[in-house]
This record gives sequence, C-alpha cells and structure tokens, in this order.
Amino acid sequence: MNPRPYLLAGPAATLLIGLLVCPLLLVIRVSFYQPANGRGFFTPGTWTLANHSALMDAHGLGLVGYTIAFGTMIAVVVVMVSFPLALFLRSLHSSLLRFAIAGITLPKFASVLVILFGLQQLLGDTGPVNRMLLTWGIVSDPLRMMRGLFGALIGEVFLILPYAVILLFVQVLEMDPILESSARGLGASRWQVFRRITLPLSMPGLFLAGQLGLVWGMGAFLGPLLLGSPENTTLSVEIQRQAFEYGRWPRSAALSVQLILAIGICLAALTFLHNKVSGRPLGGDR
Amino acid sequence: MPSSELVRLADLNFGYGGAPLLRDVSLDVPAGKFLTLLGPSGCGKTTLLKLIGGYLKPQSGSILLRGKDVTHTPPEERGIGMVFQNYALFPHLSARRNVSFSLDVRGVAKSERDDRVERMLDLVGLTKFERDRLPASLSGGQQQRVALARALVFRPDLLLLDEPLANLDRHLRDQLRNQLRRLQEETGVTAVMVTHDQEEAMAISDLVGVMNGGKLLQIGSPREMYHRPLTPFVAGFMGPANIFSADFPGASREKPLMIRPEQVVLGEEAHHYSRSVPAMILSASFLGPDMMVQVTTNAGLSLMVRVRSCDSIVHGRDIRPGQEIRVGIPSHALWQIPGSDGEGIST
Repeated sequence: MNPRPYLLAGPAATLLIGLLVCPLLLVIRVSFYQPANGRGFFTPGTWTLANHSALMDAHGLGLVGYTIAFGTMIAVVVVMVSFPLALFLRSLHSSLLRFAIAGITLPKFASVLVILFGLQQLLGDTGPVNRMLLTWGIVSDPLRMMRGLFGALIGEVFLILPYAVILLFVQVLEMDPILESSARGLGASRWQVFRRITLPLSMPGLFLAGQLGLVWGMGAFLGPLLLGSPENTTLSVEIQRQAFEYGRWPRSAALSVQLILAIGICLAALTFLHNKVSGRPLGGDR
Repeated sequence: MPSSELVRLADLNFGYGGAPLLRDVSLDVPAGKFLTLLGPSGCGKTTLLKLIGGYLKPQSGSILLRGKDVTHTPPEERGIGMVFQNYALFPHLSARRNVSFSLDVRGVAKSERDDRVERMLDLVGLTKFERDRLPASLSGGQQQRVALARALVFRPDLLLLDEPLANLDRHLRDQLRNQLRRLQEETGVTAVMVTHDQEEAMAISDLVGVMNGGKLLQIGSPREMYHRPLTPFVAGFMGPANIFSADFPGASREKPLMIRPEQVVLGEEAHHYSRSVPAMILSASFLGPDMMVQVTTNAGLSLMVRVRSCDSIVHGRDIRPGQEIRVGIPSHALWQIPGSDGEGIST
C-alpha cells in the first residue's frame, strides 16, 4: 500500500479528529455523568441514564418531534424553491448566468445575524411589509410572521437556499439538454418531458438538496432562536438553554447525542426513500 | 399532380448575430429516398437537420413537410424520427424503455406497444439479453441500434440522422452503414443524413448534397456528384481530384478541368491516348489495394495518379521517386468544372 495519498488527507483528518471526533466522544461521556452539585459542570466518576431518559417524557418527545418536523419542512421548502431556480439558471445564457449566480451567492457575504435581524425588521409586526398590507387594507391586523414557525422557517430557508441552488444547478447542468430535445422529437409534450426525463434525471440532486435542508434544518439554531417562538423550539435551542441558562451540562450533552442520532436516522430514511424511488443507490453511478 | 417531395425547404436562413450559419438554402427531398448532406464541420449541415426536426427556428424561409408548412411547428408535432450524434439515449431507461418512449407518450396500448418495440428491436438486431440493459452498459454499436429503433418505432415517414456512424470504429461503421441502408429500404422511410465522410455518403445515398459556408453547393446522385461536380469545392470534397487549367480542344481556358486520380493512365499504356506526355514520379504511397503516385509532367503539371497495387506496372518496375514515366489523360475522363466556389467560401 502506498501511504502517500493518505498523507494528503492528513491536515483534514487532524482537524476532524482533534476538533470533532475527540470533543464528540467527550460529549457522549458527559451525557452519562450526574449533574454538578454546586461546583463544575458535572459530578466526576458517576454514571447515569437519567439525562437520556428525561427525553422520553412528553416535553422531550415533543422537542424531538418538532425538530424532525422543522427539518423536514425546511428540506421540502428548500427543494421546491431551489429546483425551479436551478432549471431557470440552466436556461440562462452564460453572460447573464454570471450575474444570476452572483446574485444568489451575494447574501452569503453578509453576516448571518445581519440577515436574520433584517428579516425580523422587514417581516415584523410593525415592519414595512405589514405596514403596506395595512395601508392597502389587505389585512386589518398585522400579520404575525415573526416569533413563530413561519419566521423560523423563512430565516433558515434564506440561509440554506444559496447552497442548495448551487448544488442542484451543478446537478441539472450535468443533464444534456439534447435529451429533452430528443424526447420532444419523439412526441412528448413539455409536461411529459419534465415528468419522464428532467425530473427522474434530477432525482439524485433533489435528494442531495433535501439532505442538505434536512441536516441544516434539524440542527437549526439562530433562525428558531431569533425568529421563532420561545414555546416551540428546536433541540439546538434547547441544548443551548440547558447548558447556558440552567447550567445542566450533562442534560445538554444528552440532548446533543440525541440530536445527532435523530439526524442520522432521518438521513438514512431519506436515502432509503431515494433508492426506493429511483431504483439505484444515492451517490452511486448514474 | 401531387408533388413527390416529402420535405421542401425554401430559402432558409439561420444565424446567431454574427456570420450566418445557413444562407438561402432550398432543397427538395423526394419521398422514400436517402439524402446525405455532406460538408466540412461548421458548414451548417447539422443546423439544417435541426431546422427540419424543429429543434431550431429559421430567421427566414419556410419548411414544408408533406406539403404542409411546419416552419413554426414544435418538434413533438412534426412526427419526425431523429438519431442524434451521441444518440441522446435516456440514461435512466433500459434499451427497451428507450424504444417504447414515443409509444408511451402517445398512449399506445401496452400489448401493441410491446409488440412493436420487440419487432423493431429484432429488426435492428439487438439481442433479447441486451434489451433490459441501461444505455451505459451497452457498446457504441448497440447504443446506435437502440437509437435507430427508437427513432423508427413510431413509424415516422421521415428519419433524420446526425453523423450516426461517426462514433464507431471503422469495421463496425461499414457494417452498420449497410444495415442502415437496408433498414431504410425495408421501412420505406425517407432519410436525411448528415456526415463529413464522402465515402459513407456515396455508399449509402440516393442523393448527396454538398454544403460549405452555410450554402448548399450542389445536390445530385453520388455518381453525378463524383464525376460531374459543379464547383472546385464539390470536386475536392467528393474525393481526391486533379484540378488544373490547360488548353484542350473544346475547353475554355478560364474554367478549370478535373480528372480523378484513378482515371489517369500511367506507363506504356499511356501511349494509347492522344494526350500522353513524359513525366517524373515525385512520390508514391502504398494504400493497400491502391498506390497513390504523385507525378509532374515535363510541362510542369502536377498530377495525382491512383494505380492498383496488383497492376503489372507496380510489379514490373518499382515505382519510385525520380523515375521517368509516361502519363496519359483520356479525354473522356476530363470534366470542365462550370462554376466557381464564389466569394466567402473557403476550400
């Protein structure tokens, strides 16, 4: 075996092991400690399942359920918005495409907080959108778009969309447009071409974008924290709250472990669904 | 009397911004015939094919199909079969499902559909074993057969072929070429093929059209195109040609003369012809069945001569550079090219 190619992965592997795997193992261990009594973050030398089993009550299950539902919604919205956009980008002439890509990636140059606070102002109860709706008499009371599910959803979709569009665009770009031409020549209407050629050939990209949305949405923190409601929060927000507000570090660690497990299970389910739908493995040769 | 033309193109012009890709192309394709459009890359032949198929729209001019104006009809309503250069098979569908696609979108009943698909696959010679495979696991030749079956299964009266044999190796190409012609005759479909290979064009076609610089220069039977080219470009594109001007009785000095290398006579036999001159061999290359010999006459005329390798002249004395030899030009083999290639057309 030639060790040299492995050396190329060295810097990345060092980072991954040092900054992800080791801390993660530590988190897993912490999740089994008893809470701290007075000093420190936990009671050393103890083992308990209490932190994990606490999640099995109604509140805990509600939290997990909400997180999965939130991630799924994000995934669906992201795919539904980015797919037509990616197809539109493919149809653009290269001179226009440059501007379109720049426009789509531009929000990524602004700080996440700037974007989220901007959305909060724009869509808030006294924001310009609500004021316009009120002035035109479309609504009699301000639409409550912030401090709830809708706000959290909009915020996160806004953050994920550029990545999803670029990912899907690269995928649909791989599709030879001559395939769609030839389908039309064989008598297929535009809808039949989309249904029988474009959609099935985009399936791997759609699922990859869906996975991106799901992972991101389930781990969402800032959107739900800043634009969501305090009653309905994702696991990430609860993790932060348990650790920094209540000082229950082992409980917080247990929640983190559960979140990782939940994301893993959802990803596996999505991959299974793709393989079922398309009849071949996701990420395999097409 | 109804016209026998299946396709009639009138004054087609096409181009994006800059230089036009097609200029005033007019053309009739008689029903049931095999027409091949021949020309160098960039001459507009594929563009013309895509215009007929409806994949592109002309800037001006009209396209008549079965006597009906289809200039602005989308491809799905033209009912034309097309084989694309890279075949454009649907990568996610098996060979069988690729072929059945046109019947599926037309809602043909399952039993009839399956029957027609299997018979068409029999006709192109794809084995049962290969029919369930995805295109990626088929060889180039098999993919070509699937593409052909897919284009013919819905019984179009016109078949368009864009360099269908270009991606195959030579041996397979010759074999599929004959099969393609047989299939066209059996199904009675009118075919328009595009190629840059003049041998392929002559072997397969009833009619050959030579294009260059977006113009259709000449159209005719393979023999006509080879022996009676109207411009020097057509003469050169149909095969190796000696083109020169000389004073011959009954020939105009302004119009160039052409003789094909295989029509020039070399050696003692040249004495039989009134036009026989001494010359010297410049070079000779062995091509298997033939030898291509470059000679220059004492008057300074340079000629390519094709001699059969088994000819006694090759055996008797070695043909080698520097050797003196007699060259005869049979008058009946000389053709005076009537037209010029015109301005703006490169050769």
